[in-house]
Amino acid sequence: MDAFKIFIVEDDVFYGEMLRHYLALNPDNEVHLFKTGEECLKNLYRAPAMISLDYSLPDMSGLDVMRQIKKEHSDIPVVIVSGQEDISTAVALLREGAYDYFVKDDDVKERLWNVLKKIRENVQLRSEISYLKEEIGRKYEFRNVIKGNSPTIKQIFGLIEKSIKTNISVSITGETGTGKELVAKAIHYNSKRAKKPFVAINVSAVPRDLIESEMFGHEKGAFTGAVTRKIGKFEQASGGTIFLDEIGEMDLNMQAKLLRVIQERELTRVGGNELINIDVRLIVATNRNLADEVQKGNFREDLYYRLLGLPIELPPLRYRGNDIILLAKYFVDEFCKENKMKKLSITESAQQKLMGYHFPGNVRELRAIIELAAVLTDTEQIDESHISFNSADAAGNLLMEESSLAEYTRKIISYYLQKYNNNVLLVAKKLEIGKSTIYRMIKEKQI
Amino acid sequence: MSQSNHSNYCLDKLIGFVGDDPEAIKNMVNLFLNTTPSLLNAIILSFKEGSSETLAKSAHTLKPTLDVFGIRDTYDLIRNIEQKAKRSELDETMDKQIKQLTTTLELVFQELKIDFQLS
Ligand SMILES: Nc1ncnc2c1ncn2[C@@H]1O[C@H](COP(=O)(O)OP(=O)(O)O)[C@@H](O)[C@H]1O
Ligand SMILES: [Mg+2]
Repeated sequence: MDAFKIFIVEDDVFYGEMLRHYLALNPDNEVHLFKTGEECLKNLYRAPAMISLDYSLPDMSGLDVMRQIKKEHSDIPVVIVSGQEDISTAVALLREGAYDYFVKDDDVKERLWNVLKKIRENVQLRSEISYLKEEIGRKYEFRNVIKGNSPTIKQIFGLIEKSIKTNISVSITGETGTGKELVAKAIHYNSKRAKKPFVAINVSAVPRDLIESEMFGHEKGAFTGAVTRKIGKFEQASGGTIFLDEIGEMDLNMQAKLLRVIQERELTRVGGNELINIDVRLIVATNRNLADEVQKGNFREDLYYRLLGLPIELPPLRYRGNDIILLAKYFVDEFCKENKMKKLSITESAQQKLMGYHFPGNVRELRAIIELAAVLTDTEQIDESHISFNSADAAGNLLMEESSLAEYTRKIISYYLQKYNNNVLLVAKKLEIGKSTIYRMIKEKQI
Repeated sequence: MSQSNHSNYCLDKLIGFVGDDPEAIKNMVNLFLNTTPSLLNAIILSFKEGSSETLAKSAHTLKPTLDVFGIRDTYDLIRNIEQKAKRSELDETMDKQIKQLTTTLELVFQELKIDFQLS
């Protein structure tokens, strides 16, 4: 769970500081102290889980502050902590939606603590409910979610079937957009762990020096910026499944730590020394050939074998034959349903055009192409004129036309940027060029 | 913690809030010593000037802090002062009460400074 954010609005310096200190004794709390109603309102975007509000503030009355809060964020519990021992004020505030009301000289401490506990339990309950809703949404069979009729996809259904019966680790390989994450979710939501969380981390998207804390959490004060305790993804996934996407991007140092956690089935948060048992199922994905990476010394062999488990290889879309059309039709139907549009059909010539394309971005790209086409057409048909591939053409046709070296360079970099979601650092690493070269080309609008 | 037994204050409530952490307690005591005198001055001044509203407000703000520092008789005093100020009864009794409050608080300031070796 993320830090439990609490706002204290209190103009009395001493009392405010004391409450702040008190509530921060629990390392899971992240406490913000404001001296005016205005300041509190300006910070509501930070989505506090609870607000402790002093009734008499210098700039506006507690009632006015609470009304403003309720207007935009009716679900944030507001607890009034007041010096006022006036029953009628209390009643009025409770009527207007205050979560609780207490006077500063009562047992503020105990009451605040109890209220906090109740609110926490509520927050937890609410997240469980929304989780259950999501789960019901996914309950249908994976064959209805993962579309495809080709022999390779059918083979993959067989592998998924096997993987959901046990806890075996699963390693999924395939180019970007082939459905790796979709398969990982399908396995989780059809397994015995379905009622527990599915938690994903994209290794390549998290900065190198934060990945450990992202995965295993950290204690308050573990490093500069660690102002509260943070529970890592492995702990969040407790009883469920953790999905490590782009595992091939993990550096060797982190690989060693991960291996230890998998072997020992326990972890310690960064900056902590408590050993925490973990019970998670592991699914990893990569668009690299991990065996090659092992050969090259970029990936630990022992970790590789630990993770391999049941390997599932997703073929590129271009090798799935008629699935291209099946998926295209499925995406049009979905898009029309979602946008309350009339059903659209795809003309024969548009289908031909799709079948002739190599889809470097695979299913994700197909979906984008189809959605754009559905928007472009003014009739009830998608024809070839609505289908455009310009996005990723650079790569497939790169060598078909003669160009200068500079032009090739430009095209290659554009292609990589597109393939890796404009992650300049990653592209620079892959192409073994300086990131400043890429930044310069972007700045000069060459790419 | 070196709390002398002649104390006019009691830190149990404060410890309840910030925990039994000498460093934190000292910080809070320091904060108390830095913020309370000006509130007390505001009370004295607004009484002299007859501005009952400011008086009531300052008393109101000071009240919980005195409670936390367990200065019981001052707590009843400040409550009384606030109530009367709200009714604009700035009379001789209140003058006496404010003087009594001032005396006790100054004593407490002294005690705290000695007990916590703050100057
Ligand atoms: N076989 C499939 N049937 C339906 N949708 C698919 C299929 N494969 C992929 N998708 C969709 O394509 C997009 C990309 O899939 P994703 O699982 O994120 O790919 P990857 O993780 O391999 O990059 C998602 O919107 C996903 O729902
Ligand atoms: Mg993905």
